[in-house]
Amino acid sequence: MEFVYRRTGMIFTEAKRYYVERRIADRMEAVGSATFASYFARLRTDQGGEVEQFINAFTVNETYFYREEHQLKCLTTDLLEERVRRRAPSDAVRIWSVPCSTGEEPYSLAIWLLENWRRVDAYEIEIVGSDIDTKALRAAEEGVFGKRALMRLPAELVERYFVPAEDEQWRILDDLRQSVRFSQVNLMDPAQTRPNGRFDVIFCRNVLIYFDDTARRIAAENLYENLAPGGFICLGHTESMSRISPLFEVRRFADAILYQRPIEGSDG
Amino acid sequence: MPLIRKPDAAAPAPETASDLAGASADARWAAARAMTAPGDVDALAKALSHEQNPRVREAILTSLARIGTRQSAGAVAPLIASDDAQLRAGALDALRAMPGAVAELLPALLTDADADVRLLACELARVIPEGAATAMMCDLLDRETEVNVCASAIEVLTEVGSPEALPALERCATRFADPFLTFSARVAAERIGGRR
Repeated sequence: MEFVYRRTGMIFTEAKRYYVERRIADRMEAVGSATFASYFARLRTDQGGEVEQFINAFTVNETYFYREEHQLKCLTTDLLEERVRRRAPSDAVRIWSVPCSTGEEPYSLAIWLLENWRRVDAYEIEIVGSDIDTKALRAAEEGVFGKRALMRLPAELVERYFVPAEDEQWRILDDLRQSVRFSQVNLMDPAQTRPNGRFDVIFCRNVLIYFDDTARRIAAENLYENLAPGGFICLGHTESMSRISPLFEVRRFADAILYQRPIEGSDG
Repeated sequence: MPLIRKPDAAAPAPETASDLAGASADARWAAARAMTAPGDVDALAKALSHEQNPRVREAILTSLARIGTRQSAGAVAPLIASDDAQLRAGALDALRAMPGAVAELLPALLTDADADVRLLACELARVIPEGAATAMMCDLLDRETEVNVCASAIEVLTEVGSPEALPALERCATRFADPFLTFSARVAAERIGGRR
């Protein structure tokens, strides 16, 4: 469990022992390790890229399109309007979905903006999706989704932005697929978060709940660095940045409560 | 389509490490964040003693929490006596993030000469294992002279206490004969009893 924590920031208590043991057993079977000692030796030396496979086995990739739609409404009604107020046409607007899992969130952002933001043609909008799980990232780049992932998306949007694929699956349009860039990021590691640059809005939903207090503080500081001054961060509805770090200011909008990096200079 | 895709690493990295005595807050922030080895505790503690920028202080506290040794907790602990509420709260948050080190420091904090420190230290007992927290809070209840400190300990026991705390709760309520404390001790005993 300590190894998972050091590598990912995710904390698994005694109550999650079964979850942990089950995943380790799966990995031992996959690589043909007969004992935990031999598997752990393989893991520690990263034989055959086992660390990546191991981390992939521990991540949770359950999500769907238009999840927590109220935050998407807030994005177009308030956040982006505030962010572009003093910007010239064709300036960049950067949005980060981290963790992005298998791509539902960054593609949702792209569809939502195309459908709901009247200034969508006026700016260069860059959407980046990042995750620690390389398997999930490959699926995100593939852009093929099942019924469950699309359950909240109106039928006309599925028709507009997807083409039917095999086995009751739908493939997102190539234009849309190619408009989102994906990268591998461990939220605990500034060497991985910093190269992604600064964003106007970050969606970081339902991941900090898996971290302990120290890991949350480190992740919050990394996210702070990745926000442009005045930029916003959206957490999951059960999460509160106020309980993690005082670095951000709370902003209340009609559709959501969010957190903002103070404008430069206000913190000395 | 108005959405664009830029190549990897298109934007510059935000801050880079410099030194804790740097002129800009960004430089000190970056330096504090990069100092996460046990050997950095003294420099971080020194910087914390005079750093005025809340953001940089937060980064220093996070690095000390990340180091998580008795020495790093020891560097943070004196700040819970600070007159600066923000610094005091920041120190408590940082200490909560290093439960192992806090368990070692708590006995000293719970016997500090300053009643305010003892009162705030009770809150830290929430992050250590239930058995140890119960034992420390009970020990405090039997010797503490300040009613508010006892009230704080009783509040913690209400949340995390085990049945071993019941006699100490009763002794404390009898000793002070204070209506509020008697009420609090009774609620705590009921809650602990209900968890049996």
